[in-house]
Amino acid sequence: MRKVLTGFLIYGLPIPLLLYSLTVGPSQGLVFADYWDWGKAALQGDIHESSTKIYMLNNIIENVRLPRVLLTFIIGAGLAASGGALQGIFRNPLVDPYVLGISSGSAFGAALAIAFPLLHINVMAFVLGVASVVMTYSFAFSNNKSSIVAVILSGMIVSGIFTASLTVVQYMSDPYKLQAIVQWTMGNLHHASWDKIQTAALPVGIGIVGMYLMRWRLNLLALGEHEAKAVGVNPTADKATLVALATLTTSTSVAAAGVISMYGLFIPHLTRMMVGPDNRKAMPANIFFGGSFLVIIDNFSRSLMDFEIPIGIFTMLLGAPFFLFLMKKNKINWV
Amino acid sequence: MTDAAIEVENLSFGYGQTPILESVNVAFPSNRFSVLLGRNGSGKSTLFNIMAGLQKYKQGSVRLMGKERSKMSFSDCARVLGFLPQFHKSVFPFKVKDVVLTGRAAFSAFTPRKSDMTKVGQAIEELGISHLADRPYTELSGGEQQLVMIARVLVQNPKIILLDEPTNHLDVYYQTYVLDRLKKLTENNLTVIAIMHDPNMAFLYADHCYFMKDRTVVTPTEQFDYHASTFLEYVYDVRFTTVMVNDKLMVVPGR
Repeated sequence: MRKVLTGFLIYGLPIPLLLYSLTVGPSQGLVFADYWDWGKAALQGDIHESSTKIYMLNNIIENVRLPRVLLTFIIGAGLAASGGALQGIFRNPLVDPYVLGISSGSAFGAALAIAFPLLHINVMAFVLGVASVVMTYSFAFSNNKSSIVAVILSGMIVSGIFTASLTVVQYMSDPYKLQAIVQWTMGNLHHASWDKIQTAALPVGIGIVGMYLMRWRLNLLALGEHEAKAVGVNPTADKATLVALATLTTSTSVAAAGVISMYGLFIPHLTRMMVGPDNRKAMPANIFFGGSFLVIIDNFSRSLMDFEIPIGIFTMLLGAPFFLFLMKKNKINWV
Repeated sequence: MTDAAIEVENLSFGYGQTPILESVNVAFPSNRFSVLLGRNGSGKSTLFNIMAGLQKYKQGSVRLMGKERSKMSFSDCARVLGFLPQFHKSVFPFKVKDVVLTGRAAFSAFTPRKSDMTKVGQAIEELGISHLADRPYTELSGGEQQLVMIARVLVQNPKIILLDEPTNHLDVYYQTYVLDRLKKLTENNLTVIAIMHDPNMAFLYADHCYFMKDRTVVTPTEQFDYHASTFLEYVYDVRFTTVMVNDKLMVVPGR
């Protein structure tokens, strides 16, 4: 029974959820009723009256809601998969792209690209994302040893460095660009468009497929470096590949939708509760459930208030108590 | 084919200026249970790390079944040798069978095959821990965890297994259980080499004992048997008294 339920939550939920989400939005959700009326009217040969309304509705769904829902799903899947992969690689249940500083690094890179069009925004986000994860790793690890806390602390420092740098960029940009940067750093999906999907889908897709393929290797990495070498695998190449894939995914989604904090942290915990820690099952669960859950959060963020709550703030408010809960529950060895 | 599973010749090694090993010469015979003893810091673990390929060496030679270790790739080596490092802690509560399955990672790239699962079943049965297959690894006792890690090495189908202090932190029941199993493994064409601290346990179970002292392996001469308390005093810097228990020679530290 429990298996059926978790199976549905993970694999059955996405399609109905995506369809339902098309009806959510500020211009009120009577989409199905409207289509129903239109269908009835059409049967009675009375097409002209309602067709302008339908035209508008089609337009909203096709150009506003559909790209948004799809982009949200892709980003949610990517962040959750990255979070799961990074937790395995660092052998640390408290990390995700945000905690490791990748998100802030990518945000700085992307902001640079917005303020001073040097390079493509995705490229800048990726380069700075890689820089930040390398920094976090080298600060936290000495002689191949580290602790959970050292990783979190150095992630915090790296995050701080790039957040400060981002503020400098904001300070130096003109008011129009400043507004764009500030809105976008809070994590915002309302600029979703087919263009954005086009630029984001391929890199995120590569990242997700790559992490999916390596899901069993991740089990081995999660046991530790020595344990991998002991059974004849050199973990360095696997680790580097997975970190690169997670960073590619994260930086692309940051470039597309800003910083969605802590999301990659709590989804892997939820999926582990559902299917267990074996990444052969947990990785696909992260991808599908991660996509669905972000769509759900986004539905709330755009319908709860008269204005949109930036989704990054929403996930942070959910993620922070979760992080504290994990900290207490895991009784982490602090040395 | 040589008779020795692992042959070490004139091996020297150090970190920076600090020498750890100085011209080590030792040969571990195949299909036997050999035990390496010695004081802390005498270089036992470093020698093991080098033999297992976790540490590179420049001076001297190490041959696994006749082949030079430094010229073998990671996966070539995995076919011949399995290594059990000292204590292990898992962060995630993987099931026992999933932990054991990772031992096959050198042979199956992305997903494990059916045959890999069969090997896991065989290995945990051989060690008598089939009943633990679906339990989370993190909830097991130290002794059970050690058996799981030994099973993980066995699924590699190695010819040689190296174990760094396999009986550390185990109660007497599990010490004897683990050593019994290791001894049995040598009957199936396996060479087992372990680091241990308790000389009596080693004398009870091992086919051969080797001792390290001052960064090198010291061998007792024929007249100078290793059971002799004088030799052990030299190795451990402690006085020993020998006693006979049911025809077996035991040593007691102090007098």
